[in-house]
Amino acid sequence: MHSPNNFQQSHTGVKIVNTGCCHDCGGRCVLKAHVKDGKILRLESDTGEDPQIRACMRGRAYRQRLYSPDRLKHPLRRVGKKGQGRFERVSWDVALNEVAGRLEHIKKSYGNAAILLMASGGNQGMLHGPLPVGAMLQEFGGFTRTWGIASYEGAMYASMATYGTIRTGNSREDLLNSKLVILWGWNPAVTVQDPGTSLMLARVREKGIRIVAVDPRYSDSVATFAQQWIPIRPGTDSAVLIAMAYVILKEKLQDHVFINTYTVGIETYTDYLFGIEDGIEKTPQWAEAVSGVPAEAIAGLARDYARSKPAALIAGWAPARAAYGEQYSRAANVLTAITGNIGIHGGYAAGFMRAYSSREFSHKKVMARPGQAKPKSTGNPVEDGAAPRKYSLYKLYGGTNPNGARIHNTKVYDAILRGKAGGYPADIKMAYVVASNFLNQHPNTRRGEDALRALEFMVVHEQFMTPTAKFADIVLPVNTFMERSDIAPPWLGAPYYIYLNQAVESLHESKSDLDICRELSKKLGVSPMIFNFTEDEILQGIAGGRNDIPDYHAMKRDGVLKIRLKEPIVSLRDQIEDPVNAPFPTLSGKIEIFCAHLAEMNDPRVPPIPKYVPHAESFDAPLAKQYPLQLLTSHDKKRAHSTWHNVPWCREIGPHQVWINPRDALTRGIENESLVDVFNDRGRVRIPARVTERIMPGVVEIKQGAWYDPDENGIDRGGCANVLTRDDPSPGGAHPMNSALVQVERSPEKIKS
Amino acid sequence: MTQLGFYFNQTRCIGCHTCAVACKDWHDHQDGGINWMQIKTIEKGVFPHLFLAFAAIPCYQCESPVCMAVCPAGAISKRATDGIVVVDRDRCLGRETCEKTPCVKACPSRSPQFGSEENAKMQKCDFCLDRLDEGQQPICVEACPMFALEIGVLPELQKKYGNGKEAHGFRYSKKIKPAVVLTPKPEVYSNVYPPESGG
Repeated sequence: MHSPNNFQQSHTGVKIVNTGCCHDCGGRCVLKAHVKDGKILRLESDTGEDPQIRACMRGRAYRQRLYSPDRLKHPLRRVGKKGQGRFERVSWDVALNEVAGRLEHIKKSYGNAAILLMASGGNQGMLHGPLPVGAMLQEFGGFTRTWGIASYEGAMYASMATYGTIRTGNSREDLLNSKLVILWGWNPAVTVQDPGTSLMLARVREKGIRIVAVDPRYSDSVATFAQQWIPIRPGTDSAVLIAMAYVILKEKLQDHVFINTYTVGIETYTDYLFGIEDGIEKTPQWAEAVSGVPAEAIAGLARDYARSKPAALIAGWAPARAAYGEQYSRAANVLTAITGNIGIHGGYAAGFMRAYSSREFSHKKVMARPGQAKPKSTGNPVEDGAAPRKYSLYKLYGGTNPNGARIHNTKVYDAILRGKAGGYPADIKMAYVVASNFLNQHPNTRRGEDALRALEFMVVHEQFMTPTAKFADIVLPVNTFMERSDIAPPWLGAPYYIYLNQAVESLHESKSDLDICRELSKKLGVSPMIFNFTEDEILQGIAGGRNDIPDYHAMKRDGVLKIRLKEPIVSLRDQIEDPVNAPFPTLSGKIEIFCAHLAEMNDPRVPPIPKYVPHAESFDAPLAKQYPLQLLTSHDKKRAHSTWHNVPWCREIGPHQVWINPRDALTRGIENESLVDVFNDRGRVRIPARVTERIMPGVVEIKQGAWYDPDENGIDRGGCANVLTRDDPSPGGAHPMNSALVQVERSPEKIKS
Repeated sequence: MTQLGFYFNQTRCIGCHTCAVACKDWHDHQDGGINWMQIKTIEKGVFPHLFLAFAAIPCYQCESPVCMAVCPAGAISKRATDGIVVVDRDRCLGRETCEKTPCVKACPSRSPQFGSEENAKMQKCDFCLDRLDEGQQPICVEACPMFALEIGVLPELQKKYGNGKEAHGFRYSKKIKPAVVLTPKPEVYSNVYPPESGG
C-alpha cells in the first residue's frame, strides 16, 4: 500500500489520492479521488500549476464506472452458446486451471503460433494491460500477435514513408505562432488527444489567427474554432490536397529553396500533378468533381496556405482511417513540405503528429540510422526469424514492427477462419484477449462472430460483459486503474506523466492483469523476470528507464509530473537547421515526396508519390447504386471507443443515433428521432435517426463504440458501427473505418414510447 | 447585499458536458433526471451555412427569484450574504403534496428540480456552497477544460467581462434579474469560402 505522503489530509477526514484517468483516448488526465472508508466519494481534477490537465466528462464520470453494478465480480465459465452471454461463477483456481490446461493442450497439439493475443489499449498504462500477458506468453514459448492500429495506422505509415519518423508534431502552444491553421478531419473537442488542445485552439482563434476546417461534418470543433468550413466528401481528401499542390506549383507559390534542400522526388510528383504521367491534370476542377468542394474554394485555400507562412496544416487521423488512407496523409505531408512549413515555429509537418516522447528522445541517435535489413528480435519465439511483412517499411527504424508473422487487426477474423490455407502465418486455435473489446472495435462484426465461434478456446480479461467477452470460454475480472498503481504518459506529445496511485482496494474478486498473470504463470510453470518484482518496483524500473523522470517518488506523491521545456517543441527542427549533420531518418536522408521504399513495392494501391486512389466502396463505385450513402464512424464525446458505453452519466448526454442530412432523410421519408435501418451486405443496424444539417448530404454517421446487441434476426439494436465496416486494410495498414457504403431506410417497426 | 453571479463565455464552450458531469459527481446525483447544470445545444442554418452554440445553464441565483415568490411553503430563500437562492428541504412540501410545483414552472431555466423518488423535495444548484465556504470555485468552474466559467461578485464580473446579458439559449428577464454575465457567441454562419471573400 501507499506511504502516508501519498495522501493529502483534509480536515473532513477524507483522504485525497492523486490518481488519473487512463483509457484509450490518448490523453491522460489528473484525477484526485476523495476517499473515505475505502470508498471514493467524489473526484476533482487538476487544480495545480499551469498548464492544468483537466479531465473531460469521461474521467469525471469514473465513479459510475468503478462502482457499476455491472462490474464483473468473479471469474466466469461459459455455460450457454458462444455470444449468448450465459456464464457460471467459478473460483479463481478453477478458472486459471482451465486456462492453463487449455494453453498447454493447444501448445502441445498445434504449437505456440496457434495462440493469438488480441490486445488493445482499452485498459492500459505503462504496466497494466497487455504487457504482463505478453511477458507470460513469451516465456511460455511465444504467441501470434497482431499489427495495425485502427486509430492511426495510415497516418503512421505515411509519416514514416515521408519523414522516416512519427515525431512530426509541434507543441500545441506553438499554434499561437501560426498565421493560418487548417483543421483537416480533426475534432479535438471530442477526441481530446492531448488535454488542453481545445483550449489552445480557442486561444489561437481569440488571437485573431484564421482557422479553416475541412470536414464532412460541422463538428463541435469546426463550430467552435473555425471561421471557414469546407465540407468534403469522405475518402476524397487526397484529391483536394493534390489539387492544392497543383495550384501552388502552377502559380509558383512553392518554397523552391526548401524543396531543393530538403526533399526528393518533386519531379515525379509534378509529372503526376500536370498530367504528364497519366494525361489527367490534377486541377481544382478535377478535384471538385471528386470531392464536391468548389474549385474556387480549393484554389483559394491553396493560395492562402502558401502565402500565410508559417501555417499549420493539422491532418487528423480520421481521413486516414479509410481505404488507402495513407494517400491522404502522404498528400498532406507533401503539401507542408512544398510550402516549407516544416521545422519552424508556427508551421506543422502534418505526419503522425507526436511532439514529445521521452522514449524517442532517448533513442534520437538510433533514429538517424535507417537501412536495417531485417526486423530485430522481439523475444517472441513464434516471430523470431520471420521475414519482413510485404508492404512494410522494414528498412526504416521505428513505426510499426515489420515482423511478417503478425496478422493485421482487420484480417484476424479471416485468419481464424482460413488459417495457413488462406495465406496466413498460422492456424489460430485460441485467443487470449486483454484490454480489448475486439469484436466491437474492429471491422465486420458479424464475420467476427463466425471467427470467434470457430475458436477452440478463448479467455478474456475484462471489467464488463462486453460483446467480445460474451464469446469467451473463461472471463477473468480485471480491476480498474482506481484499484492499482500505474504510470501513464499522453500519446501525442504534451510533456507530462500521470502517476495513478491506487485509490481503493480491488472491488469484488477482481485482480490486476499483473496479478492474474503472476498466478497463471505459476500454473504454466513459467517465471518471466518481471513477475519477481512488486508493482511498485516495476514502476520504479519503468521510470528509471526514462531520462525525463528525475524523481520517481515526487511524481508518485504529486500524481503528475509536468516537464518544463524552454520553448515549444518544433519537430524536425534539427533536420531543417542543419541538413548536413542531421539528415532525415529516411533512406535518402531527405523528405521523401517520392519514396523509393514504396516504389520497390510496385503496387498501384501504394504508389511512391501521393495519389488519389479510388476503391471498391468509393462514392462513385458501382456498389454506390445499391448503397448510395457513405458511412462515417467517428468518435463520440460520451465514450472513449467502447469504454464508458454503459455509464449512466455518459448515456444521459443523449441517445445513440445515426446522423443524416435532411435532404437524404426527406427522400426516404425519415423524420428526426424515427427508427431507421442502416445496412449493407455485411449487416444491419437499427437505431433512431438524427436529422441534422451538420452532416453533408450523401453522408451518414454512426459514432463508433456503442455495444453490439444483435436480436434473433441478427439485426444490431446496439448501433455498433463496425457491423457495417469493411475488413479489408490498405497495404500500409490503414483500417477502412470511414469507407463503407450503406443504405438507410425507415425501420419496419416504430420506437416504443 | 453582496450578489454572486455566474459568468459564461459562450465563444469558448465546446459542449463537452464536463461541467455537468462534474456537478453530478460532486453532489452524487445518481438520479438521471437531476441536472443542476444543464447544457443546451442551439443549431441554426441550412447546409453549408450553419451556426452552432452551446449554453451552460446552472441556477442563476436571480436577484428577484421567481421560484421564491411562488413557493407555497416559503421553503425558498435568498441568502443575504451572497444572494444564493437556497431551498429548505424540510419545509418543501414535496412534489406530490405540492401538486403544482409552481417553482418549476415559474423558472425560465427549469433550475428547481424534483428527483424520481416518492414525494421528492425540490433541489437546485447552489453554486456549491460547500466549496465556496472553503474558498473554492464551484465544481463546474473548476472542471471546465475551456476555462469558460467563473463565479464572482456580480459587479466585479461585470467590470471584468462587461455587461452582457444575452446569449444563444438564454433570454434575460428584467423582472427576475438573473445574476449573470455572458459573452455570447457571435451569430456568424459558416461559409465554404473565407469570411472576407463573401463567396
